[in-house]
Amino acid sequence: MRFFSQSYTYDDSWAIVTLAFFLRYPNPYAAHVISCDVISREQTPSGSLVTTRLILKKGSMPRWFPRGIVSRAESWVIEESEVDPFGKIVRCVTKNLDHVKVMQVEESVQFAQIAEGKTLQHTEARVVSKFGWGLTKKIENHGLSRFKMNMQRSREGVSLILNLLRQSRLQPM
Amino acid sequence: MSQSLSEECTPLKKEYDSCFNSWFEGYLEPAVEAGRAGQRTREANAQKKAEEFEAKCGKIWRQYKSCVTKALKDKGLDTLLEQARQENPLVDPIPPPTSSNSNN
Repeated sequence: MRFFSQSYTYDDSWAIVTLAFFLRYPNPYAAHVISCDVISREQTPSGSLVTTRLILKKGSMPRWFPRGIVSRAESWVIEESEVDPFGKIVRCVTKNLDHVKVMQVEESVQFAQIAEGKTLQHTEARVVSKFGWGLTKKIENHGLSRFKMNMQRSREGVSLILNLLRQSRLQPM
Repeated sequence: MSQSLSEECTPLKKEYDSCFNSWFEGYLEPAVEAGRAGQRTREANAQKKAEEFEAKCGKIWRQYKSCVTKALKDKGLDTLLEQARQENPLVDPIPPPTSSNSNN
């Protein structure tokens, strides 16, 4: 298992960062997202919003990966999130549902309001391969470095949406 | 807004998404008093938002949901989802970040 964590601070308020996070597909940095559906969504009695989304992503296998094991380079991803507008916190866990023996990536993201109206994003990732054949470590390392790269792109995607939201709010209705 | 997993559900999804998004924007910023006052205000506010959602988006949500539920069955994805659900990742949430974390 490979583990990774990182924190990042947005200068924007929690509400607008959260909105941008939920609106992030589609964006030019996420061309690999084929579809995204809300499977279930409900408000708890205390007022949090719990959502499950099912996302289909295009992927690609590394060149060194044995041919014929993964027939299609697409992956179903489940995203479970909880938004608490009173505590100003979002928790979101994402993981792939297929190819899990080859590699499973589980990502936890949290957005919390911090001082001065800023927002702290905390991301954790766990990469696990059960592949064997002497490739487990190589697969996990590959998965982790790809995760780090994707994280950068995904943040650029959220920032792009954030900019659009800011601009639309500046315009008089 | 991105596509649905089933082409047939995409128009419903787009209509639902745009309805949800405008509701969600207001949901994220509950009235200021609600933050300071006790649980009661919080619950009353939640109730109000739930009613608002039902009035504005309830119908399109149910249409979209039944379309997706059927598409999941047709594609055999319902069992895959069922398994993932049983593991229930949100039961054991990640701990809050250790840095200063002021909510009030």
